[in-house]
Amino acid sequence: MTLKLYGRLQSTNTQRVILILKEKKIPYELVEVEFGQNNQPERLQFQPFAEIPYIDDDGFILYESRAIARYLVAAYPEHGPTLVPPPSVGVKAQALFEQALSVEAFNFYPTVSSILMERLLKPFIGQTPDEAEIATLTEKLDTRLAGYERVLSKSKYLAGDEVTLADLFHIPLLTLFGLGQIDAFTNDEKVKKWPSVARWANELVQRGSVQS
Amino acid sequence: MVLKLYGMPVSTCTRRVATVLVEYKVPFEFVSIDVAKGEHKSAAYLQNQPFGQVPYIDDDGFILFESRAICRYIVDKYPAPAGTTPLVPSDIKGKALFEQAASIEYSDFEPYAYPTVREKVFKPMRNLPTDKAVYDSSIETLDAKLAGYEAILGKQKYLAGNEIILADLFHLPYATLLAKAGSDLMTTKGPNVTRWYNELCERPSWNAVKDGAKSFSSY
Repeated sequence: MTLKLYGRLQSTNTQRVILILKEKKIPYELVEVEFGQNNQPERLQFQPFAEIPYIDDDGFILYESRAIARYLVAAYPEHGPTLVPPPSVGVKAQALFEQALSVEAFNFYPTVSSILMERLLKPFIGQTPDEAEIATLTEKLDTRLAGYERVLSKSKYLAGDEVTLADLFHIPLLTLFGLGQIDAFTNDEKVKKWPSVARWANELVQRGSVQS
Repeated sequence: MVLKLYGMPVSTCTRRVATVLVEYKVPFEFVSIDVAKGEHKSAAYLQNQPFGQVPYIDDDGFILFESRAICRYIVDKYPAPAGTTPLVPSDIKGKALFEQAASIEYSDFEPYAYPTVREKVFKPMRNLPTDKAVYDSSIETLDAKLAGYEAILGKQKYLAGNEIILADLFHLPYATLLAKAGSDLMTTKGPNVTRWYNELCERPSWNAVKDGAKSFSSY
């Protein structure tokens, strides 16, 4: 049975899963869940937080986009690039991979998604963006990007010299930097402060799986 | 060389790591970082933790940061103590459900528990004003998310099944500060969340470090 992905194309969390499905060339069927329909009983029984996405892989239900991505990589090892360190690399390399994944989840996602909520979601629901809040969040993001520079000036990707899920997980929000007016990688003065991060970010959004 | 944990004694993330070190009976030396003086932002510190955050570990020259990554490393490196089940499953589906639970913690709990605690506990400690609107909206969302927890924990003992896993323990530092932040959600939202929360609070490893991380040379 073809894997079913329940979500919405406009949702960055759904896009995160689609990205990995494409990277791994895993066939799937997208079942569109309309905006506002997450809490229907037939959805809640599978995703108790009324969120999307979730998958049904031949009866195995899983939610949380990053958990789904990890599962896809583990369950379909023969498809496409590995995207995670192989078990043979040892405990330390695995730990550095987990460190990189945690950096994305805590030092990138919350701040960037908050900025995008102000700039993109609020106008969509008829509210005004809070410019003071955006300024505070931008300052926070700039501090974080300085941290990223310390890492990416020493290695090509976040967990070493091979691309992994930790890098790819950033892509859905990176693709919204333009629309969200986040100039971290387009403002020349800023790019001078984190040239390695800018190189890494631009490379990620150029990946075939993103462009297709 | 014994493992060194660099952090702040009462920091949530530092205690998260200390809990798992004690859980797995790993001897460690706790080194206190002077966060008040900005030691965590010094050039020397940034060599080890490039984001200027606590904690990090030095395991005989191996440097690792991000508390949850450190906890996973401990479970990966050391055997589960006799008579206990590993805090991270190894089979594909068990691991997937573990990752789902780990993701629930940082997607559905921490983003709302943290601002709640920051506004009513951390900010007053630093003589900063509480933003009531942020507090109210965080509590409201946390309340809604705990409904999901209540549903899950009505079917199984812990977040990924009937055995305790790292993701359950990860909740302890912020969950236990909610009462101090004026919210009794962990014991009033529903009987399942209450049962799970109370059980976590009784964990000996948490009780050994809940008042402050410290060194453990033997167990």
